[in-house]
Amino acid sequence: MINLLAGVQSTTSALTAERVRIDVASENIANANVGRHLDGKPYQRKVVHFDSVLNAQPGAHPFEPSPQALTVARVDRDLRPPRVVYNPSDPAADAQGWVALPNINIHEEMVDLIAASRAYEANLAVVKLSRHLTQQTLALGRRT
Amino acid sequence: MDAVSLFRLVRPPNPLSTGLPDAPGFEAARAKDLAREAGAAWPAAPGAVARPAPVDGTFDSALDRLVQGVSQKQAVARETMAGLMSGQQVPLHQAMIAMEEASVSFQLMVEVRNRLLESYQELMRMQV
Amino acid sequence: MIDALFSQPNYVAAKKMLEATVRRHEAIASNLANLERPNYKRLDLAPSFAQELRQAIAAKDPAQIAALEPTLAVDTSAAPRTRDGNTVHLESELLKLNQNSLAHALETQLITSSLLRLRTAISGRPT
Repeated sequence: MINLLAGVQSTTSALTAERVRIDVASENIANANVGRHLDGKPYQRKVVHFDSVLNAQPGAHPFEPSPQALTVARVDRDLRPPRVVYNPSDPAADAQGWVALPNINIHEEMVDLIAASRAYEANLAVVKLSRHLTQQTLALGRRT
Repeated sequence: MDAVSLFRLVRPPNPLSTGLPDAPGFEAARAKDLAREAGAAWPAAPGAVARPAPVDGTFDSALDRLVQGVSQKQAVARETMAGLMSGQQVPLHQAMIAMEEASVSFQLMVEVRNRLLESYQELMRMQV
Repeated sequence: MIDALFSQPNYVAAKKMLEATVRRHEAIASNLANLERPNYKRLDLAPSFAQELRQAIAAKDPAQIAALEPTLAVDTSAAPRTRDGNTVHLESELLKLNQNSLAHALETQLITSSLLRLRTAISGRPT
């Protein structure tokens, strides 16, 4: 593949990773009050862990830090204990009337969602600008 | 055949080495020049003298150096483009600049050729 | 003879600066990609490069300019933004991205006008 856009490896991986984060945050928000999920237990909050992979640059100097690509290392289930609410009318309530609900803080998830979409938009701007730079380079030496 | 070899073929004859047009053997000498540039093996005529290497500091050597320089630039441009096409990490601007420099060098060579041709033709038009 | 055509110090400096600008773009792209990664330290051009370039341009030595190599380095002057040590600030990074693109436009323009000037000198005709 011809390498036309400079620095695009970091950006495409970041777009994918932030997209995953947005999806996970949306899923957490949507299932914030699900007392009985697929396996009968309350929905478990998902957490995204990021990792960086170095983009190997042939011709780079030794000891020169290379640009890093962001990847999703893993999507874990949060181990926080479920919060317990007293609601006897809920079909998922146990014998004493307590319902176990997912320990999801909506505000926390919203902040995550906003931060991830902000990062996503920033990386979109980088892609647009990279394309602009490449078009400028292709016009090198051209009369008008 | 690349552009530089083509140029060598159509380069105007050097009156000093091939003689004037009405001298005996001019056409043969010119044809031999062309054939040698094209790489063909020319049957050596009996008693033929090998073309001397250009003496440093003469016009001939300057022309030679010009053609060599242009050839070098073309080679660099070719290699850079090949590297870019084959997916090696060649920066695009490096390839573009190499191509432009090769093009400018070639333009210089063509212009020199045109001027030489004009001056040769003017020389030929002069009445003895 | 051909080498002399392309050995003007300004032209060589513009080419070298373009090389540096492209490297810097890669660094800024990496910084924005890792905006949300804990403990990521932002990258930029090594600060020594700007000084060396200035010296080489002042000396008007094309060979010295061409021998420079723009390298990336961790930006030690960047302050951490979050508790986890990430040093990328979105606003300033976007600003640097835009400034870098304008520098890229300037440098391609300089190189183009040098080449067109050579063509005009060779052919005697404007472009």
